[in-house]
Amino acid sequence: MRVIAAALGLALAACGEPQSAPPGDPERGRLLLRQFGCGDCHAIPGVAVANGTVGPPLAGIARRVYLGGVLANTPENMARFIRAPQEADPRTVMPDLQVGESHARDMVAYLYTLR
Amino acid sequence: MTMKIPVLLLAVGLAGAAAFVGWGLYDVSATDPHLRPTNWLIELTVRRAVARRVSAIRVPPLGEPAQVERGLALFRAHCVACHGAPGVAPQPFALGMMPLPAPLAQTGREWPPAEIFWVVQQGLKMTGMPAWAFRLTDDEIWAIVAFLRELPRLSPSDYRAMAAADTATAPANAGAAGVGDAERGRTALHQYACVACHVIPGATGPQARVGPPLAGIASRKILAGVLPNTPENMVRWLRDPQSVDPPTAMPDLGVTERDARDIAAYLATLK
Repeated sequence: MRVIAAALGLALAACGEPQSAPPGDPERGRLLLRQFGCGDCHAIPGVAVANGTVGPPLAGIARRVYLGGVLANTPENMARFIRAPQEADPRTVMPDLQVGESHARDMVAYLYTLR
Repeated sequence: MTMKIPVLLLAVGLAGAAAFVGWGLYDVSATDPHLRPTNWLIELTVRRAVARRVSAIRVPPLGEPAQVERGLALFRAHCVACHGAPGVAPQPFALGMMPLPAPLAQTGREWPPAEIFWVVQQGLKMTGMPAWAFRLTDDEIWAIVAFLRELPRLSPSDYRAMAAADTATAPANAGAAGVGDAERGRTALHQYACVACHVIPGATGPQARVGPPLAGIASRKILAGVLPNTPENMVRWLRDPQSVDPPTAMPDLGVTERDARDIAAYLATLK
């Protein structure tokens, strides 16, 4: 059994990409996601009453390749999309919620924990 | 003691299989040919699997000149690049494939028409042979079968002459519109490579995270961040994403109206 476990362990160890955590305070970001009502439209693991079905669910968002279907998913682009969605995609229904720069950074820090 | 031997054998077998996979012992490279017994086993598996699945196929009359001519046009458009033709080599990329695409003159001689039809329509897993079910109509596939039956009788110069005279272009698959068929749509998710970018319940794929996961898509209010999620809008989005949202990364995959309806019908079951 140990051999099987070791072999499977080897196979699984190859999966998953390394990524350094973006700057910002994830715990504060979690509260901010609640405060800005992000959960009215998105299901967000770990955020209280975040079970909206207007936008896509944000489980695993850290590993999504594109944001809003239009931007490469980097911490910088995520902050950009949160702060000015229409700049990235003029037709998106995602509203501009007047999120400040440091708030956006904290939200991104939390969302990047959702792998 | 005797009871323990099968258990031990099973454990050794499982450990061996796990080691084979986990330590990467199997060489997946296409430059490493199959062993002769492996090759024999693959060919037998294919022949038996195909033979088992063709009993319901009714073979139409084959060999009318117009049908063979149409088959030639389709063959030149879709088959010759990988399989070659009398006196015509496959494209260089096809020579790098493992297994090599079969020489179709031999297939035309040796395979029953229903089995050729099935392979063209369904494709062959783990070979380079794609399924044409969502690209060609049944009539078009039968035309290819009719042409392949003539192929062994053609010399290279016969084929050159026919190819030179062939000015017909392969007709596009129109695909009739109708009520969406969810089960057909589920197959179409693979045939249009939807699973290459989306995780979709009920469809096996590479667990890709390029686009959003589609679990619960039927309950989503907005499509692609821009459109209300209605069946009509889903069809529109699937068929022409850039007209819905110009900057989107979602590609236009040439989905026909019928196939888009079927895919939408399947997605509507994902509550």
